[in-house]
Amino acid sequence: MPSSQFWIIFKEKLERVAEIVIAIIIGFIIAGIMMWLGGYDPIAAYIAMFEYSFSLTDPYYLAMTLSFAAPVMLTAITFAVGVRAGLFNIGAEGQLYMGALGAIMVASWSLPGPLYLPLAMIIGSLMGAAWGLIAGVLKVYRGVNEVVSTIMLNWIAFWIVEYARVYVYPNPIDASKTISMPPAGRLPILIKGTELSASFIVSLVFVGIAFYLLWYMVLGYEIRATGLNPSAARYGGINPKKTMLWAFIIGGIAAGLAGVCEIAGRPPSYAITTGLSNLMGLGFDGITVSLLGANHPLGIIPASIFIGALSSGARGMQIVTNVPLEMVKAVQGIIIIALAVPGIVRLIRSKILRREVKVV
Amino acid sequence: MNDVIVQMKNIVKIYPDGTVALRGVDFEVRKGEIHGLLGENGAGKTTLMKILSGLLRPTSGEIYIAGKKVSFKSASEALKHGIGMVHQHLALVPAFTAYENIVLGLPGREASREKIEKLMEETGLKVPLDALVEDLPFGVRQRIEIIKMLYRNVDILILDEPTTNLTPIETKELFHTLKELKKRGKTIIFITHKLREVLEVTDRITVLRRGRVVGRTETAKATPEMLAKMMVGREVVMKIEKKPAKPGEPVLIVKDLWVKNDLGEWAVKGLSFAVYSGEIFGIAGVEGNGQTELVEAITGLRRVEKGQVILMGKDVTNRSPSELYRLGLSHIPEDRHKLGLVLDMTVSENSILGIHRLKKFLGSLLNLKWRVIDKHAREIIEKFEIVAPGTRAPARSLSGGNQQKLVVGRELSKSPQVIVAAQPTRGLDVAATEYIRKLLIKMRDKGKAVLLVSADLDEILQLSDRMAVMYEGEFMGIAKPEELTEERIGLMMGGYKMEQISAGTKPQPAASS
Repeated sequence: MPSSQFWIIFKEKLERVAEIVIAIIIGFIIAGIMMWLGGYDPIAAYIAMFEYSFSLTDPYYLAMTLSFAAPVMLTAITFAVGVRAGLFNIGAEGQLYMGALGAIMVASWSLPGPLYLPLAMIIGSLMGAAWGLIAGVLKVYRGVNEVVSTIMLNWIAFWIVEYARVYVYPNPIDASKTISMPPAGRLPILIKGTELSASFIVSLVFVGIAFYLLWYMVLGYEIRATGLNPSAARYGGINPKKTMLWAFIIGGIAAGLAGVCEIAGRPPSYAITTGLSNLMGLGFDGITVSLLGANHPLGIIPASIFIGALSSGARGMQIVTNVPLEMVKAVQGIIIIALAVPGIVRLIRSKILRREVKVV
Repeated sequence: MNDVIVQMKNIVKIYPDGTVALRGVDFEVRKGEIHGLLGENGAGKTTLMKILSGLLRPTSGEIYIAGKKVSFKSASEALKHGIGMVHQHLALVPAFTAYENIVLGLPGREASREKIEKLMEETGLKVPLDALVEDLPFGVRQRIEIIKMLYRNVDILILDEPTTNLTPIETKELFHTLKELKKRGKTIIFITHKLREVLEVTDRITVLRRGRVVGRTETAKATPEMLAKMMVGREVVMKIEKKPAKPGEPVLIVKDLWVKNDLGEWAVKGLSFAVYSGEIFGIAGVEGNGQTELVEAITGLRRVEKGQVILMGKDVTNRSPSELYRLGLSHIPEDRHKLGLVLDMTVSENSILGIHRLKKFLGSLLNLKWRVIDKHAREIIEKFEIVAPGTRAPARSLSGGNQQKLVVGRELSKSPQVIVAAQPTRGLDVAATEYIRKLLIKMRDKGKAVLLVSADLDEILQLSDRMAVMYEGEFMGIAKPEELTEERIGLMMGGYKMEQISAGTKPQPAASS
């Protein structure tokens, strides 16, 4: 009896992983064809990409990969917790901006040194949560679709933070950025000479908490039940409104924390730069990571490292083979499309299976 | 006038899952008549008419329209032969106007506003053409459907339980329309379980029971008693051993309860009753007469507009399900896929749905103690003889019967005082059905109160100590099952109150409505 249970679960997990691997391969193949059509050597480009992301001889590249993985790991949790509650929360981008703003706010105060970091984390994640909660309240009490509200809130957050960058917290020495987090409030660098700071550890810990929450705590149980079958959840005495609000709050905390980490843990500037250029896209990349990780915290860890590797490897690709950096975005985009339509993958698979049956 | 226009011969329909819906039905309709098709749930009325209107294909059998053999592959082919069906759930686009809905799908040149206006003029079927369908009451929407059919030159109009969501006035108007259409030579097939209506409006009646024709008659020669008996006539009932009930205190009391359905119309109209500990109180009736809404209101899933629900001596009107569970309520819901289970969650996870905040399952971090929960699930699996691959397998991987046993097992593991069981054996095989029925009797013998709602009359008759028959949101009567004859039950299911029947006065069909 236990063995049949094992096989059912194992087969399902395997199918899910296979779907993701197929999507990744499709992404690389199509991008390779694009490079080839553009007159580049895709194989050389991919080798360079690998060298500059997972090089075994120089830890610098691996450190880059992990430092890029850290923020998207957190914004992926925002999306994943939303999906688990039956929501399509794509507001991590704006919530991350607000988190970063919270960190800069704390940086502007004069405080005893050891207080900067914990206070920045608390205020930043609370601001992220509050930003997420706006969409949550609109959804639960006014029936506003969260896709629409979070997209709009992303832009509102963008302009609020951009305004604050220029008019509230401008850097007196360098007009292209805000004031910096004072050294006492910075996350320690893990490998000297790289951008890899303790933000990677903060992210890992938070992912661990999210995992525990979703699978080992009552609230997580209620969130998952609501996402899978809201009527049954209601029947089970669960208040779906409450669980949805919690999902927005937890997601907001994750994204807000990612914003704080980008300020307190990203050398050299430790600040928000012009047009939020050092924050831009981290929220949306989280969606990619979450989908790649099957919206599961434990899947999100390797998925975020993969996306981090693409980002750091893209530089190598450009240096060695002249392939433009943007090609990596194409790979990412194609993978998402291949993932977003698992129906197509399933269709192809069933066609192949049917053909096999016919042959037999 | 007596030409046969529709003739269906020896129609058999077996659904892919093996359900036999029709077991060789011969059905005949004459041109220009209103023909009533009468029967209980699952009698095969709708299946037969879906075959006639091309939505379903028969497993075997032949269809003749005006003497010519036909075989429809789709509803549009049936439409070409002038056959159209108005379903219980109307197929209109809510965001479109009445006019847009009527012409939807027609080639542009055939859409003529004047022609529709003329049609409305002639038939007296008036609808506001420029109003959005979502703003119109149900009765008007139904008229739009009928106009839609007439505009497509339908000569044989099938109406499936058309009065279910209508107010009495709307019903009257509908009947007037039907008679008007009949005068214009249209043939109408009227599917219903309501005896009064079938007697009032039809010319001839065919009665179906469990996929067979059990009677054909001219309406003029029919009496409600005779139709009732045909409709519910029992086959061999399997007997279940049952000790006499020892009812105790009233633990569930419902007082003057008023509840609305999803369309915002009254579904439960001032019901009052009590269920005592140590008894099974059964509610029979054709589905859609407010039973679902009643159960949902009692179990905290639907708003009570007026009236009271008292559970274990406490007023629990409009309280949340979790509060009711804490007071000792168990609810076996009628739809295990929609309500009872989260199919993508594991057996263990499902085994605590609704009791997941109990202290014994919780650790100090508000964490779930999976070891305790797995043990709880294993106990349910063993005690209720559930065949499951394991506690960590998704509930989806269980068969229907075992899924239902999981729901029942979970609900009974709460050690409840009051059990509300809605359609507890629907879709189950004989063994699982008997198992669950015996369990309910066991709970009764242990002094629990059981409220059983079922469309399966056998189930109600076998299990109940007292029973009520529900019709259009009201009880037609409450009695002990052994005091009721099939004829009386059939009359109540068809809309006659028990007082009217037992007073000895012959129910007067058309006069009262």
